[in-house]
Amino acid sequence: MICLEILEWVKLVIGGALIICGLIIFLIELYGIFHFRYVLNRMHAAAMGDTLGISVSLVGLMIFSGFNFTTLKMMLIVIFLWFASPVSSHLLARLEFTTNENLKSHCQVYKNLADLEKEIKQEREKEAGGEEK
Amino acid sequence: MKLQMSENLNTLDKIYQGMYIAVLIILAVMLFACLIRAVKGPRIADRIVAVNMMGTMVMVMIAVLSLLLKEGFLIDICLIYALVSFLAVTVISKVYIGVYAEKRQALNPEAEEESAEGNKEGDDLLGNS
Repeated sequence: MICLEILEWVKLVIGGALIICGLIIFLIELYGIFHFRYVLNRMHAAAMGDTLGISVSLVGLMIFSGFNFTTLKMMLIVIFLWFASPVSSHLLARLEFTTNENLKSHCQVYKNLADLEKEIKQEREKEAGGEEK
Repeated sequence: MKLQMSENLNTLDKIYQGMYIAVLIILAVMLFACLIRAVKGPRIADRIVAVNMMGTMVMVMIAVLSLLLKEGFLIDICLIYALVSFLAVTVISKVYIGVYAEKRQALNPEAEEESAEGNKEGDDLLGNS
């Protein structure tokens, strides 16, 4: 009987810690939304903060709930959001990319992928040459 | 010993309820802060990002409510809300990209040729122009 009580307290501590971690992640995401100056940067903070925050919070709530049907539904929510949230962020980034007239003032735009790969290779060769010297 | 156990269960219950209410209050305050970004944001994507965040926080609030009130059916609402919010962001993005392309085509065909060359990567990413 005492073992049951200790289990309850352990459940409370672990679940509570996970939920508080989830809230801290949401707070960091909220700060990131206000700190950055351009949409694409804010989207970076929002996408990662959203997915991780809700997953950690829901895992904490699953521990609170015990072995239940509710826990199974929460697990379904976590699995669905793990796949769907990055996809929606990608679509938003695509929206911002195609509808912004002066994108060049915020970030570098390359016309095709080969240019970017060439530039990365050149940078790496310059670094390797600098190290050898 | 039975009385002691039930007393401990009562305190445990009170701690759970207190924790749920604290989490709900903190999430509500963060929700209003997201609304500020939705109103302030200069671009459209700012607003959609803020609304997406608000939806996610509301999902956590619904799940916490379901455990607070001990009603099992509120989790179904949370699941459906996740699906609908994802669908909303997808549809808004697609519709707005289409509207923008249409407007650009309708306004001036000459300038469209110039900007189409500059935005070629955007068209390739879309897959359809």
